[in-house]
Amino acid sequence: MIEQLRETCRRLLDEGSVQVIIGYGDSLPGKPARPLFIRKSEDVDQLTWGPHCLPNLTAYLKRKEVKALGNAAVIVKGCDEKALVVLTKESQVDRASLHVIGMACDGVCAPKCAGCKMRTPRFADEVIGTPSDAEPKAGTRPVTLEDLMAKTPAERWDFWKGEFARCVKCYACRQVCPLCYCERCIADKNRPQEILTSASLTGNFAWHIARAFHLAARCVECGECTRACPAGIPLALLNRALAEQTEESFGYQPGMDPDAEPVFGSWKATDKETFIR
Amino acid sequence: MSAIIHESGLRTLIDGWLASGKLVAAPVEVSGRVLYQRLKSSGEAILESRERPANSIKQFLFPRHQALFRYRLNGKQVELVDSADDTREQIIVAARPCDAASLPVLDHIFNCDCKDAGFDEARQRTTVIALACNSHDEACFCTSVGLGPSSEAGADALLVDLGDSEFEVRVLTDKGRKLFEGRTEPGTREAPALEGPPRKFDAGAVRQFLANGFDNPLWGEESVGCLGCGVCTYTCPVCHCFDMVDEGNAAGGERVRNWDSCQFQMFTQHASGHNPRATQSQRQRQRIYHKFSIYPERFGALLCTGCGNCARNCPAGLGVLRLLEKIDSRVRQQHV
Amino acid sequence: MSEPFEPKIVAYVCNWCTYLGADLAGTNRLEYPSNVRIIRLPCTGRIDFNLIVKAFEMGADSVLISGCHPADCHYTAGNYHARRRWILFRRLLDTLGIEMDRINFTWISAAEGKKWQKVITDITEKTRALGPYKAYRELHEVAG
Repeated sequence: MIEQLRETCRRLLDEGSVQVIIGYGDSLPGKPARPLFIRKSEDVDQLTWGPHCLPNLTAYLKRKEVKALGNAAVIVKGCDEKALVVLTKESQVDRASLHVIGMACDGVCAPKCAGCKMRTPRFADEVIGTPSDAEPKAGTRPVTLEDLMAKTPAERWDFWKGEFARCVKCYACRQVCPLCYCERCIADKNRPQEILTSASLTGNFAWHIARAFHLAARCVECGECTRACPAGIPLALLNRALAEQTEESFGYQPGMDPDAEPVFGSWKATDKETFIR
Repeated sequence: MSAIIHESGLRTLIDGWLASGKLVAAPVEVSGRVLYQRLKSSGEAILESRERPANSIKQFLFPRHQALFRYRLNGKQVELVDSADDTREQIIVAARPCDAASLPVLDHIFNCDCKDAGFDEARQRTTVIALACNSHDEACFCTSVGLGPSSEAGADALLVDLGDSEFEVRVLTDKGRKLFEGRTEPGTREAPALEGPPRKFDAGAVRQFLANGFDNPLWGEESVGCLGCGVCTYTCPVCHCFDMVDEGNAAGGERVRNWDSCQFQMFTQHASGHNPRATQSQRQRQRIYHKFSIYPERFGALLCTGCGNCARNCPAGLGVLRLLEKIDSRVRQQHV
Repeated sequence: MSEPFEPKIVAYVCNWCTYLGADLAGTNRLEYPSNVRIIRLPCTGRIDFNLIVKAFEMGADSVLISGCHPADCHYTAGNYHARRRWILFRRLLDTLGIEMDRINFTWISAAEGKKWQKVITDITEKTRALGPYKAYRELHEVAG
């Protein structure tokens, strides 16, 4: 697979249709692959592919430093590609000028890989490889949403207080997210200061509520936020809860159907709830 | 002849400190990571150097969020209320040498110009017991910055793992002596020779490159992968930039100091709208210069202890290590 | 002897329906507890989720959000957008363990002065029984 990938990238660069390939490079042992930005076709041999290819490279499409490099080709797994669907819908990516190289994936040892139904990207310009028959290599979640909801509200509050006590407001969760692309995040605005910047409990709750909710019905659950967090906070749980409700109430799964109407851009007179008096 | 303590003796000591109301911190397992955290009991402490904590000990002296003072507004009257400081004695156990070594650097930073009373006061009531490293990972590079697995800089005492749950205790300061007085036994076991990580780069060659390298295309090329979060700066033992804000409303509030990161887009944003470091490559370049050129030139010490947290924790696998390795390889290529 | 607990209720209401409904309660001399602090916005569609969070940060014990009935929004669809937002936001708050009894949503029209009176009275009494929302305020006291 890797040779085919390198050959594809060599061709793209030589043809001149693409000025930069966003792919996976080497890594520290046991750590996820570093991103690679290949501009010259002789460098394509640095590209790698394997279970260490955890990161979601679509996060780089929002970066002005990457946009300045010219037309891009991006290497995606099936899960990463869902972000592209949302980004295209939200007019953040010009799909026509982006070249998407899909990789069939046998799992990257992340919790999200368990039971993966997205082993092959669906909308790529070309797909490399086919998934094996074996179950994808997956990791386990230390805490699941089920565990969390089995607690009482007071216990859940204590749980999150414990988790957010470790948050240092590094915003890694925001920076790695392909869908956090605002040029000026609400957390960085101070007229007014909507979200306290302090890494205090109050400030941390404010930020994490905002982060999760600004991703409501948009998050494709790639898990990067949780992976990037240096304090090991299970951020993806908040996104999972919202994804569950989004499907329950609106039959919508972000990143699946490019033609589906986004939840917050639309409404129905028949939207159901039981809490409004 | 050396002083030995058994692991159980050390844990008993820790429980004693906790019982007497002291604050004790050590590496602890949390959510699948190892982090320095305040202990509730000695059982939580990881007293072996199997994994470098993903954070650093600076948080215990330079908190990530600190209230400086509170203010109440009664019409035109402003009432200032000093924030209550913690006065409890604090002991950090099993700090890595690369963490302990940050303290002399932070001491200088927080005292070389204004004297930071908050830091000094916390520093005074803090004792650091370092644990020499008998393992390292690929991100470690203490030996490239003049330190090593049993470096004593900044520590009040150094523990060396002898195996069989025994530690040699090297008392280095009066504070360290006070903690271990009468708690150790004499022993003859030799401490193992500890080999640190192999050299990853030549600090002198890096310094030379930086002397002329401000406009080198390397910065643009090698920092595209940086996403501009604050993980490297916040998990670095010596990074110390901060932001001060007032948090409150019409009734009052508090002035706080929070950690800040030179990697954030807004770090050098001017009120005029101009940003002198508007691109990530400028911000990455600045970080390397600060740590490996500007600070050493002015104050004779590197602003880096080679702990590797930046490289280990970076979501894109970068950190200063990656850039320094790239610089080192360029310098060596030129000399070939 | 400490003073009895008086709940602080923050009510974010839309200008065209609920605010006028509250006004109608006033002009009809319908008494309702003065525990409520009314904040008028053009439409429930403008109510950012963060306003609820801020209210609790600032010491509210309960929050009410109220606007026009479906199909009656002055701006046609603001309340429909709001309804979608709240369906998801409540789920997030519940996942965090925030006390859902302290967050209330109603549709109150400009003609429903009596409903405003009833709703505010009910919420105030419910909050009095729940007690002050210590959990949120205590966040500030715990060392960060």
